[in-house]
Amino acid sequence: MMASRQSRWSSLLLAGLLGASNAGADGFTDTRYRIQGFAAQTLISSTNNNFLGDSRDSISTDFTELGLHGFWLPLDSLQLSGQVLYRRAGESDQDGLRLDYAQADWRFYQDDSTQLGVKLGKVKIPYGLYNETRDVPFTRPSILLPQAIYLDTSRSVLIAAPGAIFHGSTVNTYGNFDVTLGWARPDFDSEAVEDVFLGSNQPGNLDGTSAFSTSLRWDTPTDTTFMLTYIDAKADYAPARVDYLAPGSIRVRNLLASVQQRFDTVTLTAEYNEPRNSRSGLGAVLPDAVRDSLSYYLQAEWRFHPEWELVVRNEINHRDKDDKDGTQLQAARGLPAHLLYTDDWVVGLRWDVTPNLMLRAEYHHVNGTSGLPGPDNPNIFATEQRWNMGLLQAAYRF
Amino acid sequence: MLASSTLAMADIIVNPSVNVRSISAASLRNIYTLRQTSWPGGQTIVVFVLPDNDPAHEAFTKEKLGLYPYRLRQIWDRLSYSGMARAPIEVKDENELRARVRATPGAIGYLNKDAGKDTRHDGIKTITLE
Repeated sequence: MMASRQSRWSSLLLAGLLGASNAGADGFTDTRYRIQGFAAQTLISSTNNNFLGDSRDSISTDFTELGLHGFWLPLDSLQLSGQVLYRRAGESDQDGLRLDYAQADWRFYQDDSTQLGVKLGKVKIPYGLYNETRDVPFTRPSILLPQAIYLDTSRSVLIAAPGAIFHGSTVNTYGNFDVTLGWARPDFDSEAVEDVFLGSNQPGNLDGTSAFSTSLRWDTPTDTTFMLTYIDAKADYAPARVDYLAPGSIRVRNLLASVQQRFDTVTLTAEYNEPRNSRSGLGAVLPDAVRDSLSYYLQAEWRFHPEWELVVRNEINHRDKDDKDGTQLQAARGLPAHLLYTDDWVVGLRWDVTPNLMLRAEYHHVNGTSGLPGPDNPNIFATEQRWNMGLLQAAYRF
Repeated sequence: MLASSTLAMADIIVNPSVNVRSISAASLRNIYTLRQTSWPGGQTIVVFVLPDNDPAHEAFTKEKLGLYPYRLRQIWDRLSYSGMARAPIEVKDENELRARVRATPGAIGYLNKDAGKDTRHDGIKTITLE
């Protein structure tokens, strides 16, 4: 109770700060610097399982997002940017206020069609179509990003990390090409991330050691986008004084393929990947293993009125490609089979009431629990295979 | 592609320091989608826009860029919130837009042709679309 009352106070405080900077917005609007931001509150209600708070047969208000973004161009070849984020998402994310990213981008070559640069600092990691702006509600196709690709419980691994990213882009008659190549030190040390990679929160520390990432994006003149992202991230586990795990390591390798076709008012999107998770040295409780998972989604958005948009999506996830329906897991370890898959049908409606205010509603019809946030559902034997969820969101921007 | 016969035509204006007389449709689209950030010769481009729901903005994006305003907003949000580009500077109306383009080296903007009551050529340059 205390914690939640405190976080409510800090969200009020941040809302006040956002309001104050909004009042002075004209003063900030210069050609070389810019402050922008957003505030969003989501209500969630679900059947059978919890999603971001106590949503089961109730209404969870535990999904709040506030952001303040700054951009400064001190020189034509140097761009500084960063974002402060307040985020609360059920039991999986109670960190509240944090520095989301802060990067310096030195554009060492620029002409009227080509730019080459390097970003240093706590950098945004390019990953698929939505990762770099995943906390900005206005940039998402729905209230929740497709969990099959952008699993929120492991978000901290991919969102931003201390490192360096080289990037280049060029535009010509064949369209626009973007390439990135980067190294970073990813953040694995959170309860939700340990839940994903070690089965549950462990007493020791899981520390990200390195992540290599590269991406290639092609936007064609026919409004088609093709994108490939590759990432290879490693983390070491250091056991606590009393621990049943031994010092070991985990590794995630993934090639994500993304494609999007844009028509005047219709957008069709698909993303597909088969991440490979491996672990070694952790001892007899978590024996060395390599597991491939498989997930994708297909999505259609229709802007049927300048202020209204409809989205329909199907998301599929199999946490173990060799045990898609989870029957082997159930037979071998007595765990619920539905832990290993998700088939989620999503329908959502967006209303841009004004350029600054957006309202959204969305419904999920789900079979499987592989996308459920572990910390909100501590007893996996109490989770149920089939569940539904409704969400409402109000978001303001300036 | 995007029929808009009822909409007014838009003029493309630049600061007099910009050393161009005309611009290709592709180049204009690259500038407004933040792909082209400097003029030939190296001068940095500063992009000005009207609010998303302004009729002149709508006319400009549909006729000259072939994009709906919501689509441009998606592109700007993705590039600006990820720190990859400077978002266009939004002004409240055509008078302010005219004044800012006049005062800002490298600036580009647009005006509704019907809004030409002001001495439009005073201190700003109208360029043609190739």
